[in-house]
Amino acid sequence: MTAAGKVFLFAVLGFLYLPVAVLVAMAFNASPLYALPFEFTTHWFEELSGNDKLLAATRNSVLIAILTTVLATIIGSLAAIALSRRRFRGRTLLQLLLLPPIAIPWLIIGTAMLVFFFWTGIGRGLHAMVLGHVALAIPYVVLVVGAGLNNTRIDLEEAAMSLGSTPLHAFFAVTLPLLMPSLIAAALFAFAVSLDQFVISYFLATPGVSTLPVEIYTSIRKGFTPEVNAVSSLLLAASMFLIIIFARLTKVGGVSGRR
Amino acid sequence: MAAVDAQTIGKSYGATAVLDGVSLRFEDGRFTSLLGPSGSGKTTLLRIVAGFVTADRGRILIGGEDVTQVPVWKRAIGMVFQSYALFPHMSVDDNVAFGLARRGVRGEEARRRVGEALEMVRLSGFGARRPKELSGGQQQRVALARAIVTRPRVLLLDEPLSALDRRLRQEMQVELKRIQREVGITTIFVTHDQEEALALSDHVAILDRGRIVQAGSPGDVYERPATRFAASFLGDANFLEGTVAEGGVIVGGVLVRTDDPLPAPGAKALLAVRPEKIALVPAWGAAPAGHNAVPATVRQVVYAGAASTYLLDGPDGVSLTVFAQNRTGGPVAEAGATVTLAFPPKQTILIKD
Amino acid sequence: MSEPQSGAPARRGLSPGAVTAALVTPAYLWLTVAIFLPLVAMLVFSFLTAAPFGNRAVSFTGAHYLVFYNRPYLVEVALRSLALGAWTTGICALIGLPAALALSRAFHGRTREVLFFLVILPFWTNGLVRVFSWTMVLRENGILDDLVRAFWVDAPSIGILYSYPAIVVGLVHAYLPYMILTCYLSVVAIDDEILEAAKSLGARAPVVFWKIVLPLAAPGLIAGSVLIFVPVIGSFMEPRILGGTAGVTIGTVIEDQFTQAFNWPLGSALSFIMLAVVLVVFAVFSRALRGRLTLS
Repeated sequence: MTAAGKVFLFAVLGFLYLPVAVLVAMAFNASPLYALPFEFTTHWFEELSGNDKLLAATRNSVLIAILTTVLATIIGSLAAIALSRRRFRGRTLLQLLLLPPIAIPWLIIGTAMLVFFFWTGIGRGLHAMVLGHVALAIPYVVLVVGAGLNNTRIDLEEAAMSLGSTPLHAFFAVTLPLLMPSLIAAALFAFAVSLDQFVISYFLATPGVSTLPVEIYTSIRKGFTPEVNAVSSLLLAASMFLIIIFARLTKVGGVSGRR
Repeated sequence: MAAVDAQTIGKSYGATAVLDGVSLRFEDGRFTSLLGPSGSGKTTLLRIVAGFVTADRGRILIGGEDVTQVPVWKRAIGMVFQSYALFPHMSVDDNVAFGLARRGVRGEEARRRVGEALEMVRLSGFGARRPKELSGGQQQRVALARAIVTRPRVLLLDEPLSALDRRLRQEMQVELKRIQREVGITTIFVTHDQEEALALSDHVAILDRGRIVQAGSPGDVYERPATRFAASFLGDANFLEGTVAEGGVIVGGVLVRTDDPLPAPGAKALLAVRPEKIALVPAWGAAPAGHNAVPATVRQVVYAGAASTYLLDGPDGVSLTVFAQNRTGGPVAEAGATVTLAFPPKQTILIKD
Repeated sequence: MSEPQSGAPARRGLSPGAVTAALVTPAYLWLTVAIFLPLVAMLVFSFLTAAPFGNRAVSFTGAHYLVFYNRPYLVEVALRSLALGAWTTGICALIGLPAALALSRAFHGRTREVLFFLVILPFWTNGLVRVFSWTMVLRENGILDDLVRAFWVDAPSIGILYSYPAIVVGLVHAYLPYMILTCYLSVVAIDDEILEAAKSLGARAPVVFWKIVLPLAAPGLIAGSVLIFVPVIGSFMEPRILGGTAGVTIGTVIEDQFTQAFNWPLGSALSFIMLAVVLVVFAVFSRALRGRLTLS
């Protein structure tokens, strides 16, 4: 049974990774019609550098992701401190309110943002996308930083205070350094959420201002060349890189380690 | 160094009173244990002295100065936590130097004092290590060094030995006592371990449900318990309940004498006798002159090498316990045997229920 | 000065309530502007006769909520969307639970950690890119056909791109990691000794599975199912890219109302009906989901 289990799991992994592998392989295949046999080229990546539309979209994506990371990490961490360190009325309700942005389908949230932003005059474009991305990232930051705070011990701050630290100094001298990995992890996660976000951006993009995923979607629907594979591969590599560092910092794989 | 005064301290969480008007003086340079079961309020009292918890009523004085409104970080205390609470991201040196830096002691002077403190806890040469590279006992010593290096006015110990195994704990008790003597610091020690409290303290205060039941030297508190709770929490005790008569208390028809002044005849009275104060006299023997002599039946003998514990049924079926050294090779009585329990009236203590 | 519930240190300065408010206000203000107010606005919108732009006279109407009555073909679309959710969830469960069991029982230590990470890694990569990758595999004369023809030169094309099954394949691929994750967290907690105890009492493998493993894995199975079903019924880009003309779902209909037909009130009403379905699903399974809507 163990052997069958191993074979099955590797088959599942094959199913999960095969199409992705094909996508990346085709980015290096010379044929614009995706024809085999495989013939190696970096032509499609070179093409990218001349594609102003994709480059502009990439710039937008990175800019939005950076702004989202900074804003969501700061705002979310502050909320996480209050939610995990302080006892106050309404705390459970506030924690519950973090769920809708995660749980409601993005289609609904995206269209709702479109309606509201249009109606109030906030409009669409970069600022609207940042507004939306930060809102999506905040709950994740609160969860990651909150988990980190739950692992840092209150008694360390008390020890610092017994040695003469004010509460503020105790937080900066003891808790913050210990919280650093969680903060970095949360920031990486916020960056990944924003970089990969398609649905919200799709509804908030304007013909002039779009992001990389939105451009990829448009290309897929209009007819595409392996150039799309090349840019998709880069996006894929970026998010995998971010998530691998994130996992190392938060030890996500560690849940399987307990026995 | 300074004496600490807790004056009529009251603290409630919601409807439950954790501390109910506790007053206690911790003399200068003395090692005082707060002993009690969990929920007795001993840790809350310690945290009020530290300043982590604000009392609803009462005052805290350190060295005669009212510190009730002074925050933790200005109270000049040293504290060792149950978990040690060493900063995991700092070296041993940096941990010990933390409090010095807060008091503006840096550079050469700080290095010298950190070195002295580590020497005192016998951890010279461990300064560059991280806490997680140390054993439990070593972490304990670092925590102690960190707490005393700032020369605080009072040292607060929150069950610091409870995480150590038995052998290490006994070793650390000796160390702790030595260091406390050397520094001569007023020390408040919270524990639920009676042996630890007896071994370490100059002074013991027993707490029960937010009140101080009895305070005094370990010998006084053990030999002359004031209440049933004090007698049974600190050590073991046999309780004899009866009616006061001329010259003693009638317990199940047997007159038991005590040196303590008794209330008027006819009143109810409760006596306590420590199990090791009782001698087992075989049925054919006689109790020494002047001793109380109470007949009993051995229910069970628990043999433990050096000593045996005898569980007996006394007058009125009251359950009694006797500890006796196995001097003659093996127990002196078998289960089912009828014996006489002999104990001096001086060791028969009148207590409150 | 002291908070009633915790032993607050004696301190001066700001009251604890003010500090708490200062800490949480930015986050919840942001969520209000970007999530909660938009949902409210959309609810209002769904009752308007037309989008209120450019001085157009609009009035309130409930007509958009009768859309399923007025446009019977939408009933068919809605049912197809729900069926899509059911198919995807069911197949994910059939693959995900055995995969989770295999991961937790057939692997140990570091290997298992790495494999677990490999399973959930795709989930955090761009879904659009992953759907796109299937077009190359599934299309006529695509990689799948090439693979088959490597063994059977004259094989007819089995390319299924632009069909209902293609959408299901893409969605299963997109959401399978979630099911494996939630199931794994349930089954990894099952102690080997429990299974051994069952066997020592005379239970054979199938009995052990039905009576011990399945009930203990149920919370993970349910959580995974909800967390897959909900986004699948709201999906639009997967049906669009993989389904072609066969890919009309409620999701694509809503997308069209906002990007092609510009009938925003109707789109809002459809979004809200979908939100209602989502909330009902969450409410029904809220017990099973408690504490599971976190990262992992």
